Amino acid sequence: MSTAFELENGIFAGVDVGSLGTKSVVLRGNEVAGKVIIPSRLNSEEGGQEALDLALEDAGLVRSDADFIVSTGYGRISATYANKTVTEITCHAKGANFLHPNVRTIVDIGGQDCKAIRIDKNGAVVDFAMNDKCAAGTGRFLEVMANVFKVPLSELGDLSLRATQAIPMSSTCTVFVESEVISLLARGEDPANIIAGIHHAIANRVGGLFARVGIESEVFFSGGVAKNIGMKKAIEKALKVTVVQPVFDPQLTGALGAAALARAFAAKEAQARLASA
Amino acid sequence: MQNPLDTLRKIRQAVENRPAELETLKAAGAKVVGWINYNVPEELILALDLIPVRLGRGGDDHLVEHGSRWISTKNCVYVREIVGLFAENEDPYVRAADLVAVDATCLQVFRTGEVIRHYFGKEVAILGVPRNFHTPEGAQYFRHELKHFAGKLEEFSGRKLTEEKLAASIALLRGIRSTLDEIYTWQAADNALITWEETLDVVQAGHFLDRTAYLELLHELVAELQEKQATDEIHDRFEEVRIFVSGSIIPPGDRKIIGILRSLGARIVGDDLWSGLAPQLNVDVKAPTVDAIADAYLARVPHGALPYLDLETDQRLANLKKLLHRFHAHAVVYHTLRYCDPYTFKGNETKQVLQAEGFPFLELHTEYAGSDYEAVRTRAEAFVELVRNRNLIEA
Repeated sequence: MSTAFELENGIFAGVDVGSLGTKSVVLRGNEVAGKVIIPSRLNSEEGGQEALDLALEDAGLVRSDADFIVSTGYGRISATYANKTVTEITCHAKGANFLHPNVRTIVDIGGQDCKAIRIDKNGAVVDFAMNDKCAAGTGRFLEVMANVFKVPLSELGDLSLRATQAIPMSSTCTVFVESEVISLLARGEDPANIIAGIHHAIANRVGGLFARVGIESEVFFSGGVAKNIGMKKAIEKALKVTVVQPVFDPQLTGALGAAALARAFAAKEAQARLASA
Repeated sequence: MQNPLDTLRKIRQAVENRPAELETLKAAGAKVVGWINYNVPEELILALDLIPVRLGRGGDDHLVEHGSRWISTKNCVYVREIVGLFAENEDPYVRAADLVAVDATCLQVFRTGEVIRHYFGKEVAILGVPRNFHTPEGAQYFRHELKHFAGKLEEFSGRKLTEEKLAASIALLRGIRSTLDEIYTWQAADNALITWEETLDVVQAGHFLDRTAYLELLHELVAELQEKQATDEIHDRFEEVRIFVSGSIIPPGDRKIIGILRSLGARIVGDDLWSGLAPQLNVDVKAPTVDAIADAYLARVPHGALPYLDLETDQRLANLKKLLHRFHAHAVVYHTLRYCDPYTFKGNETKQVLQAEGFPFLELHTEYAGSDYEAVRTRAEAFVELVRNRNLIEA
């Protein structure tokens, strides 16, 4: 890759191996050409390879067509198929910037962690904070709650919108909240009010992260939990912000950022080669 | 890669030999004072011909679990590991300690002193510390406390403090502190032959070694650095990610975040840890008296647990800023142990002050268990990416 033409038409892939889902996005130049989300496998390297190949297939391509591959997510360390690995914090920042260049604040809620990220106009991370080792405030937490209510995870957000009030949760621990929810149900509380309370508890934890990094302008919500409308509303209320309307699957933001970085790295390598030629 | 400095090998060897050496000394009638926390003046211990040993280790989750049987799990892992060390009673320094001296700077460590006395039958001497160092009443209180503490040590040793002995111990410790400070300059220099990690090991070797022999080794180390290292000059070197470490204690045995930062290609160039450089700074004992020692300890860089001041007069923050410039650090990793409330509470304020000075700041909140290793690594890696990007722009 050495010319502007090749950079505009090159194939750049990002693979985000998360705890619950493995995602991949393929860019042709600067346009999304393929994408996929699959459940994460026990073997993260195999899962990453599978997602990558499926995203390439979605774009009508095969592995050998890829010019540069970046892997991210917790499984990035075992991604032998990638040219480079980058943390998911940097990738979510780049992905958000790719989609919404005016956004400076990102909340990312994934399967096993949540992050508050602030970025500059180029999508470079300025500051960030992550939850500590606890499932509360993560996608996994919502998954456990969906099991308690015996509803599909995808319906949890809609159910919360039917609430007349959000019942406060006294605990922040996933295990104890589960017991608390069972007690509340036994007491005859409206499930919608309890679910709204759960969403607000998570939003408040996210608020704690932003107390450390600050909030600027509109907020971009990325990660699988961003698909939950109840969570979006709870965050808007707790943080007193507007969450931008997604124009792309928010669960793919990290993989998209990884693909955008793959393009940037390829460009840098091309420049270095030209300079030394 | 093996460090080319012979003195580092000698220091390591001396530390390995020290437990057996202590046994011999004790058999000949010597008494060991093991101390914990931040404000116990070794000057007093040495002046009474007692052997000071700084107790406490970190990084061993098995000991933390053991200690949690005697002290609440809402205490930090360092404190729980100390209790575990006494419960297990296998650490050679814990076994050697005839008296345990504890000051009340960090209140969790102070409680540990009580736990050690209550459950493990150790003789414990407590040194009270004022919560505000900067009032005449606070200074007066500490003078009284230190006199009382010195009296206990005299009783324990069967000797009396003399001006001559105090002058000698003050001079010895002044020499150790100033030489360690000098070694910190060497480790941060361009193409340094000694790393910060090795420097921290050298500082912590001083917890155990005979203080006179230790000072000789430190002088030897400086002489070797002067001979073998081209320069002690320090430049920004934007091709490096120069990290300064602050926050909760990193005691001997705990190398978790240090290992993570190193594995990411970052270079640690300084610290203001109470297990590192901080106790070596600004200790100016003006006369060979207990009162002068009390005044000097109050005037040095305070521990994070003490005192809470407004930003204009907080010496800890002023010192931190000064060190960042001295070592040409690019960014700060602020390490906090779970339930280490003083440093965790002050983290946000420290971050705001340092970010206003242009230093990126990352708080790494962790404990000794390996379960959060990857999560901590991800934060650290993202931070190194952030600093590297900034450096590219600066360069």
